[in-house]
Amino acid sequence: LNAAPRRPPRQHVRFLPVPDGGDGGATGLVAARVPVLAEHPLVRGPRFRRLKIGAGHRLDVKASGVFVLGIGDGNKLLPALYNCHLTKVYTVGGLFGKATDDFSDTGKLVEKTTFDHVTREKLERILAVIQGTNHKALLMHSNIDMKTQEAYELAVKGLIRPMGKSPPIITAIRCLQFARPEFQLEIHCLHETQQYLRKIVHEIGLELKSSAVCTQVRRIRDGVFTLDDALLRTQWNLQSIQNAIGDCQLKVKTELEKTLG
Amino acid sequence: RGLAAMAGALRGARRAAVLGLRRGLAKAAGPRSTRELREAEEAAPVFQYVGKAAKRKDRVFVWGFCYSGALGVPSFVKPDVGWKKPRRIQPTPYRLETAEKISSAACGYGFTLLSSTTTDITKVWGMGLNKDSQLGFQRSRRDRTKGYEYVLEPSPIPLPLEKPQQTRVLQVSCGRAHSLILTDSEGVFTMGNNSYGQCGRKVVEDETYSESHLIHQLKEFDSRVVQVVCGQDHSLFRTEKGAVYACGWGADGQTGLGHYNITSVPTKLRGDIAGVNIIQVSSYGDCCLAVSDEGDVFGWGNSEYLQLASVTETTQVNVPRHLPFKIGKIKEAACGGTGNVVLTEEGNVFVWGYGILGKGPNLIETAVPEMIPPSLFGWSDFNPDIRVAHVRCGLSQFAALTNRGELFVWGKNLRGCLGTGRMEDQYFPWRVTVPGEVVDVACGVDHMVSMVKSFT
Repeated sequence: LNAAPRRPPRQHVRFLPVPDGGDGGATGLVAARVPVLAEHPLVRGPRFRRLKIGAGHRLDVKASGVFVLGIGDGNKLLPALYNCHLTKVYTVGGLFGKATDDFSDTGKLVEKTTFDHVTREKLERILAVIQGTNHKALLMHSNIDMKTQEAYELAVKGLIRPMGKSPPIITAIRCLQFARPEFQLEIHCLHETQQYLRKIVHEIGLELKSSAVCTQVRRIRDGVFTLDDALLRTQWNLQSIQNAIGDCQLKVKTELEKTLG
Repeated sequence: RGLAAMAGALRGARRAAVLGLRRGLAKAAGPRSTRELREAEEAAPVFQYVGKAAKRKDRVFVWGFCYSGALGVPSFVKPDVGWKKPRRIQPTPYRLETAEKISSAACGYGFTLLSSTTTDITKVWGMGLNKDSQLGFQRSRRDRTKGYEYVLEPSPIPLPLEKPQQTRVLQVSCGRAHSLILTDSEGVFTMGNNSYGQCGRKVVEDETYSESHLIHQLKEFDSRVVQVVCGQDHSLFRTEKGAVYACGWGADGQTGLGHYNITSVPTKLRGDIAGVNIIQVSSYGDCCLAVSDEGDVFGWGNSEYLQLASVTETTQVNVPRHLPFKIGKIKEAACGGTGNVVLTEEGNVFVWGYGILGKGPNLIETAVPEMIPPSLFGWSDFNPDIRVAHVRCGLSQFAALTNRGELFVWGKNLRGCLGTGRMEDQYFPWRVTVPGEVVDVACGVDHMVSMVKSFT
């Protein structure tokens, strides 16, 4: 960044003494346009010494996926994006047959159970119930009086969403793959933590009268940012970062305007 | 020499190292702790909570007003332990233990009937109000000559069957103070109040209905009766041939027989349903609806709340009239006290009438059916194949069951009968959290009963 060409230094008019031939005596002044000394690169030093980087929604060590960062002035957009309360989408992988103390497959084993009675149909039934109770929680935490016509209209359109603090809510959940003992779920949620998602996998195991641990949590969408906008480890260089910032600027602006007005 | 010795030693060491590697080529030894952990994990015992062929259990959940005993849980009314307090209202679904699998349930005005298709001697259980012997004669244990006025837990109702170990009870239905029990081969049994002939027998003046042993049997219909429905003070019978019979109070024309008098013998209805194959009848208050096999709906009875205002201005209609709604082929209809609901073949729900109809607080009354948007029942781009499978009506509430087994309720929340956990009225469909897949629900005035299959 520091090696990039800077803008040329400002020019200002200074009255410089004219180098006289050697007359001595009268020294004249001549107006000349010279660059401002204060903006000389050797005086100012490198342009960037530190960069402020802020993180968007947290992603813990065992999880992977899209992680939004704000750089410099972009940090000012982060609180606004948080207040939009947009949903995040995760792909959660699970394994039947084990229960561990921290709900993931690297934890200390608590119990092993059979799982040959678990079928995709039963799993989908449990997921439908989870979705139903979370939909109820969504309506209840959105702080709208259920008795108004406005609440009815928002419920019909499906636009009711908590716009303040709320416990973790799952707006949609479905089973992508089921190959006993492994399964994969897609979860759309709000105000969640990855450990909460692992706990959900554990509770699904309990509901099915077996046990389950979470093997993978991967965020594939965070508000307006999807996997396509995310930069891979090999793309962590200046050019890609600059391109990514440019591509996302418009999306973020339209989303903020739409939600926060 | 020193170098050579060192080289020799090195070579020796390498040889030893090579030998060591060769010995353990299969698996490099990890740190002892992870290997031990893995072995301990594999040696851990496996618990089996449920076998491979485990069947889903059938359960009954009840909620609503408790003091009448209609919920069947005695500890709500008379606590069995000192620290428990009598519970006036059960706001959320509560599991009721039953002896057999319950196939049909009906909620009356303060009482409930549960029936099973078993061939055992006891096929029907009743609980709640029994002041008109709507639950038969329940002999009191303290005084053998008297009967109970309130029955607090599901008590068997003895039926005078000819072949008690072969006949099966198909369906039960309850009205304000009378009940009907449908069997597969011995007709219909009626009990309870008969002051308007609703039990299908001649009205006896000054008859005392409480502590009565009388259970009347009705067999004279054109064919086998396949559905019985109780209105507030009248009874409707639907036969296999598609005909509808009625008896009871007729001042609002709810018997549909062309007059406004009492009928004490079940008589066939004519009017617009003469010759039509009716596949479903419904009533709970004073209005009645019937659905034909071609998807048409017919109505008669009370129309003070615009239930039949689409065809007539009169407030009492005593002859069945065809309701020409252009909403598609109708699959199921349900009548409440002031509002009606129908379900079409596509799975859409239409409501009309008066009261809280389910489209927000602004829609209070309408004579023409209005559709409730499917997104309120959980339909969305994420779940496009959710459909409403059944609709049911209580006196001032509605209930809808989806094909995923979810129960949605809306309407007036009289004494917590909606089961949402809150005491406020619900102006649009709201999910009731039941720990299982809801198979059927019966709605009453201030309580509801649901038959549920457990998840696993």
